[in-house]
Amino acid sequence: MTAAAAAGSAAAPARITLSGVTKRFITPRASVDALGPLTLDVAEGEFVVLVGPSGCGKTTLLNLVAGFETATDGEVRVDGAPVAGPGPDRAMIFQESALFPWLNIEDNVAFGLRQHARMSATERRAVALEYLRLVHLEGFEHAFVHELSGGMKQRAALARALAPRPRALLCDEPFGSLDALTRERLYAELQELHARTRRTTLFVTHNTREAACLADRVVVLTSRPATIASVLAVDLPRPRNFYDPRVSELAGEILAHLRAEPTPSNGGRDA
Amino acid sequence: MPEARPLRSRNLAFLGFLLLLLVLWQAVWSVGLLPGYSLPSPAQVAVRLAELARDGALWPSVQASVVRMALGFVLSAALGLALGLAMGLSTLADSCLRSLFLGLQTLPSAAWVPIALLLFGLGDAAIYFVIVMSSMAAMAIATADGISHIPPHYLRAARSLGTSGVALSTRVALPAALPSIVTGIKLGWTLGWHGVVSAELIKSSIGLGFLLHAGRELNDAAQVVGIMLVTIFIGLVLDRVLFAWFERRIRVRWGFAPDTSRG
Repeated sequence: MTAAAAAGSAAAPARITLSGVTKRFITPRASVDALGPLTLDVAEGEFVVLVGPSGCGKTTLLNLVAGFETATDGEVRVDGAPVAGPGPDRAMIFQESALFPWLNIEDNVAFGLRQHARMSATERRAVALEYLRLVHLEGFEHAFVHELSGGMKQRAALARALAPRPRALLCDEPFGSLDALTRERLYAELQELHARTRRTTLFVTHNTREAACLADRVVVLTSRPATIASVLAVDLPRPRNFYDPRVSELAGEILAHLRAEPTPSNGGRDA
Repeated sequence: MPEARPLRSRNLAFLGFLLLLLVLWQAVWSVGLLPGYSLPSPAQVAVRLAELARDGALWPSVQASVVRMALGFVLSAALGLALGLAMGLSTLADSCLRSLFLGLQTLPSAAWVPIALLLFGLGDAAIYFVIVMSSMAAMAIATADGISHIPPHYLRAARSLGTSGVALSTRVALPAALPSIVTGIKLGWTLGWHGVVSAELIKSSIGLGFLLHAGRELNDAAQVVGIMLVTIFIGLVLDRVLFAWFERRIRVRWGFAPDTSRG
């Protein structure tokens, strides 16, 4: 049985539209404009990378699409339907793996499959193993999170996010805390996964080379409140090698666009 | 942290220290600093305990106290976990209960005994009441704190995987809070053990507390000290053997402590 067959009919990738979206955080002492107004249209199956100065509101944008936060103004829509909260159609991958330490790797990957009420435990297991193979973690299904390396954790997190066949994948600097070698392998694997699954992907990073290596389109954001500074369409052939001179050249170009943005005075974290 | 020393050498160090304490105790007794009726020698205590065991007085009392503790503790833990979960998930419940529980915790367990006797009379219900009132609040607060300190990305990951409502509490919030809950349960066990012995001191015809009380009535210092040692021993063994093992496993699995079980 293939994973696709086990998880039910293949869901089409989502189209994500943000129109005039703003986000303002109001605390007792201050109100902070974190985002927008920002308008962005992500096509079905497209891989869009968001880069921007640190603290500019990239993560906020992702949280709005994920449904963890609601927009102050404007609308976030997935396939025309307004986002009303988090849902299994939009899987999120975090900077830390967010795998559950109380479950083994197989149960982690199968976690999101419980929403398929008609799937039996055996089917869930089969799907989990299929996705573990997809991210090259076969043989680790009974391991616990603390027994995996950082790169293996992010692979498992990827498998967990993809197993319920979400229509979009939201990645918040998922490789930020990994060493360079592991990251490079994961770039290759992520490209391969994207080629196979065609999930619409929104990927946040501050690494310009990572952006150049992965993106169909790079969206450069301004410093806070984040709006779109520039958009670079990338038409380099895939799979792309991290050390391809054309990738380096593009990374340089993205960096130039970024440098044109003033860095925020507080040097704060991503809001 | 002193964790780096291997377990065996730590145990040896403790045994050596215990021996030193015994020698000191014997020395204090030998020079006669205190009158013999108030401070027995280690040997006198050992003899008295052996007598109690032989007469069949010790074992039924140990059993009675442990069984009371086990029943009372299950009741207390169930209540504590449920209330702690409610506090962790609802700001309203937390606002209402937290200060109340912190306040109740300031009462020593012996202070619950008079009201327990007034409410429940001379039955074992009074003892269970003392156990619950001594230990429940600590477990509820630990559970609530554990839940409110869950890394937010666990909850977000679960929600973006389609989990909500009751499943979010039982399948994510509770297990994520487990390290803190186990610490609370450990503390609750100790406090509950205080509660049992305190309650038995005042009301009971069997149990470790009763033997303590009887020893004082008979001016039998050897029995008093002997039963204190038995009480400490049982509390310590359960803490070190049962809970410490469980707590350690959880800390390793949750990534708070290095895994020393493998090479």
